[in-house]
Amino acid sequence: MQNEIQFLLNEDVVKINNIDPNTTVLKYLRDLKNLRGTKEGCASGDCGACTAVTVEIVKGRLVYRSINTCIMFLYSLHGKQLITVEHLKKNNKLHPVQRSMIDHNGSQCGFCTPGFIMSMFSMFKNREQTSKKNIDRYLTGNLCRCTGYKPINLATKNMYSYGKSDHFYKNEKNILNKLKSINRQNIKIKYFNKEFFIPSNLIDLKENIKQYNNCKFISGGTDIALEVTKRRKDFESIIYLGNNKDLKYIKIVDKNIVIGAATPINDTLNILKKYYPSIAEMYFRFGSLQIRNVATIGGNISNASPIGDSAPALISLDSSLIIEGNKTRTVKLKNFFLSYKKTLLKNNEFIKEIIIPIDKKSIFKCYKISKRFDDDISSVFMAINLKLYNNLINKIAITYGGMAATPKSAPNTEKFLKRKTFSYKNIILAKQYLERDFKPLTDMRASKNYRKIISQNLLEKFYLELTNNKKITVN
Amino acid sequence: MKNLDNLFSEKLPHESAEKHVSGLAKYTDDILEPTNTLYAAIGWSTVAKGSIVKIDLRDVIKSAGVCGVITERDIPGINDVGPVFKGDVIFSSKKIKYFGQPIFAVAADTTELARKAVLKAKIQYKKERPIIRIKEALEKKSYILKTRKFSNGNARKAIKNSQHKLIGESQTGGQDHLYLEGQVALAIPKEDNGLLIYSSTQHPSKTQQIVAKVLNQNFNTIDVHVRRIGGGFGGKETQSFMFAAISSLLAKKFNKPVKLRLDRDEDMILTGKRHDFYFKYEVGFSDNGKINGLDIILASRCGHSADLSEAINDRAIYNIDNAYYIPNVKLVSYRCKTNTVSNTAFRGFGAPQASFCIENIIDNISNFLKVDAYKIRYLNLYQKNNITHFGMKIKDNVINDIFNKLINSSNYKKRRKEIEKFNQSNKYIKKGLAITPAKFGISFTTTHLNQGGALVHIYTDGSIHLNHGGVEMGQGLMTKIAQITANSFGIKINNIKITSTNTEKVANTSASAASASTDINGAAVLNAINKIKDNLFSFIQNHFKFNGKIIKYKNNNIYFGKNKITFKKLINLAYLNRIPLSSSGFYKTPKIHVDKSTLKGRPFLYFCYGAAVSEVMIDTLTGENKLLKVDILQDVGNSINPSIDIGQIEGGFVQGLGWLTSEEVSWGNDGKILTFSPSTYKIPVMNDIPKNFNVKIYNKGINNENTINKSKAVGEPPLLLAISTYFAIKNAISYAKKNNKINLTAPATPENILNSINK
Repeated sequence: MQNEIQFLLNEDVVKINNIDPNTTVLKYLRDLKNLRGTKEGCASGDCGACTAVTVEIVKGRLVYRSINTCIMFLYSLHGKQLITVEHLKKNNKLHPVQRSMIDHNGSQCGFCTPGFIMSMFSMFKNREQTSKKNIDRYLTGNLCRCTGYKPINLATKNMYSYGKSDHFYKNEKNILNKLKSINRQNIKIKYFNKEFFIPSNLIDLKENIKQYNNCKFISGGTDIALEVTKRRKDFESIIYLGNNKDLKYIKIVDKNIVIGAATPINDTLNILKKYYPSIAEMYFRFGSLQIRNVATIGGNISNASPIGDSAPALISLDSSLIIEGNKTRTVKLKNFFLSYKKTLLKNNEFIKEIIIPIDKKSIFKCYKISKRFDDDISSVFMAINLKLYNNLINKIAITYGGMAATPKSAPNTEKFLKRKTFSYKNIILAKQYLERDFKPLTDMRASKNYRKIISQNLLEKFYLELTNNKKITVN
Repeated sequence: MKNLDNLFSEKLPHESAEKHVSGLAKYTDDILEPTNTLYAAIGWSTVAKGSIVKIDLRDVIKSAGVCGVITERDIPGINDVGPVFKGDVIFSSKKIKYFGQPIFAVAADTTELARKAVLKAKIQYKKERPIIRIKEALEKKSYILKTRKFSNGNARKAIKNSQHKLIGESQTGGQDHLYLEGQVALAIPKEDNGLLIYSSTQHPSKTQQIVAKVLNQNFNTIDVHVRRIGGGFGGKETQSFMFAAISSLLAKKFNKPVKLRLDRDEDMILTGKRHDFYFKYEVGFSDNGKINGLDIILASRCGHSADLSEAINDRAIYNIDNAYYIPNVKLVSYRCKTNTVSNTAFRGFGAPQASFCIENIIDNISNFLKVDAYKIRYLNLYQKNNITHFGMKIKDNVINDIFNKLINSSNYKKRRKEIEKFNQSNKYIKKGLAITPAKFGISFTTTHLNQGGALVHIYTDGSIHLNHGGVEMGQGLMTKIAQITANSFGIKINNIKITSTNTEKVANTSASAASASTDINGAAVLNAINKIKDNLFSFIQNHFKFNGKIIKYKNNNIYFGKNKITFKKLINLAYLNRIPLSSSGFYKTPKIHVDKSTLKGRPFLYFCYGAAVSEVMIDTLTGENKLLKVDILQDVGNSINPSIDIGQIEGGFVQGLGWLTSEEVSWGNDGKILTFSPSTYKIPVMNDIPKNFNVKIYNKGINNENTINKSKAVGEPPLLLAISTYFAIKNAISYAKKNNKINLTAPATPENILNSINK
């Protein structure tokens, strides 16, 4: 057991244990290190002004991820390198992404610029092609209020013409060695009455759990951090699962996709895309890349938000959860949510694994409706899983988000459609059953009436798309 | 060597671009504070209307790290930060007029501790029913300013005599500024009772004056410095005063530096936004769609205080014509008082809302006559030498040419046919297309604000340091002014250094607003330069026995007759001969005048013109929409810096796009704002801009008035171009409906689009 964390701040090794575990990376940078190039725009992971890049060793090589420093706790940096905007320029020479930004007039007031630069930098380091899709993927987590984005888009598109190499490439070996030398033991930091625990494996996690009452489990922490940055709370004990190798994986076992609960969403997309392209598509609109780089499916589920997109999708796929704590148990996701923000999880229990059955014969589609296409919380989300047999509905699971206090399936509608012909007439008839299944509410995202109409129209849309074998979409 | 005369056409990047990309550009919160600095937080009302029964701050004071609190009683001077009218109290101890109204403030060792402490206040309210929405305020005759009646010609008669008339109503939504840098101020006590304030404000001089009045001190004891701000858009024209005042009050009380930085949520809860408007109109027009008369009511939500609402609503009156000649206008403008934050300046300042209204009227006329709207728009455009409804002759009209050029370059007519074809063969997805013109008058409509000042020093090595009254907020003001200076002296731009906008250097300045900062401050800088040049001219004549009249500053040299001398040598020589090399400068906009009782006269020096074509696609099952293509042609006169101007056009357009599509300010019936974070309030992101986004500067642009380089302002006018996106959406909806009556509530969110289709 160690009592301090270690990480690289740019190239310097930092060992630290004497600050409050509730301290965010952004606060550390700005107030303790006087590195004020990284900005606070919203303190909720919505604007990207605070973007920096973490570097980790994955399968022997360095992986660069853009992250929101405003909602990441400092101690979760253990074992990583953190690159801030100040570090891109070296020996008075600008980084290619910086030169491109200047040449394309990508900055006006300049406040969002460091965040954009870091998102561009992570794209550069991952050697991504500068397709429209990729650029949007990397940069929709950064808000700019001045430029209208076009010059930033062009600066990104053309960034490689300013050089494909940088001082980071030349230093990779050195960084690899430095990161490898960081101890991966369990870490427990005590700061007055507060504690931050980083278990490195499942056994140690389970063993230590008993000592904690009311501990908060975090992996990405992108939602829980808001308790600190917005609701001014302090957590007394935090257990960080993000470094737990036993909770970070995605693999195919028998006819299931199994995902370790602490796996960043972004790391699951390649495999999910293969089996359920629609769910992967949804996840590309789930938060921003900065969020997906740390946020996890396990976190999104245990947070139990009625508008979290993971749950309705995974319920329709008949997924299960493995829950760990005093003992191990398996539950169906559809039974997991009890009421608004309440789940089956007891104190000191956590989700270990998500199991998604693979059924190549079923038709699975997700629909997400929001005011803004990218990085917006759904007003209505629908996931539908259908199995046809001679155009007869053999199996159907329809689950909605944003329509009730929890993610919820549509039993009356499902029952009506089961064993019926998959016809336009039946789908239109099914619409009225949705009204029995849901009594949606009005809030700032949508009115109850809109939610009602959309929930029905999405069903129709699903039918039309399937039968015409063509997407009906403006996007 | 490059001919330095051409500096104006060179595409120079922003003067701070290298610092922006490196994280080295310092904003107020980045300035290293003195070690004994305290950090502040505000305690604010959680009800929208009522009175305070009891305030108990004992737990606040006892909270960890707290140094102390202040309330209304700690204000030595006036308890008001209203910029024009009184009514913006800093702390209330009795009446509550809006959700988020400050009641007290705390100073503590850290921002986090201060924010935790304010939550421990126990405040009891006696709640009253608030007035939140415009219609409610109209019903209850709740107004913050006198209702304005305006008339030109005889609208009633003109409508009566028209072949057709239409009656209708429409509305526009509010808009949060969402500048990326939130409100922040750092106040540092100095000797002799002085205070140095770093504030993220568009208006340093007013900050100085207001803080002085709040502290009951002379203006000369307060210094305000602003190097740059992280976006303003009008949201820091007056809304910053409150926070400068609170940090100053705390700094005074505890005799320590105090920083007050608002959390984003608090910023969105506590500060005013764009005025939302309600319009009710009756329009009379001929068979061909020519408007004869307009009888209209404009009502805006001003919030709990007047702030800048008078000037904003006046500008709405001035822009109700947008780019159209309306011979007879009868208008009533209600300035509604509601229990919400005090709505304030926002890029366009009432003009976008008014333009939206007349565009909607024209759109409805087109639907009524079943004619492509572009024809009705074209027909009603101003012709040369038309006189506006407020009595100003339009001498610089280029809108017809711009409109025509854009119709052609965007292939409007061909695309219309393609869209109709597409819509016939697609049941659920519909496309829409629209062109809208824009005209925007330049000058503060409050005449006395149209003045600027500058201070220029040339040091003996030939390098130049200058200051002026304008604030750099991303619009490239400093870059343009450096160019103006470099061009005037024929030297390279890297010899020019512009430091923070600063009340000690240049006094009594106006806000950086109304798009006029380059016009006004650039001219003041030129005035200072010309004074120095006069000195140098006399010196050259005397020293070199030069009898000619022409001296040229070019390529780092001064040419006179057949002689030349380098700029650096001349300056040093002038110094040795005791020639003053430093000067202040001043400028006031000529020609403008307004009769305050009728609002008629010449409020503007000139107009900017532009037009945009937008093409969209909507999903009639969900209301989702996508902006496909935008073509813009904007008049910026003879540009000082085309790349900066293009940036302003693109940025203004996308800001307007947000206003009319995804940005929805939502209020609960209890007066609480529901959209107070970027998680619920959605401004456009990169994927929302059209794949084809063609922005061109009108190449025949030239300002008839004597502005620098014959350029025109560019900050606000392009925002109006985004109105085309809304009408493209409305156009797409028309293809999905059987009747030709379309009501689409702005902003055109998926929900509002679907409602419009199903109505």
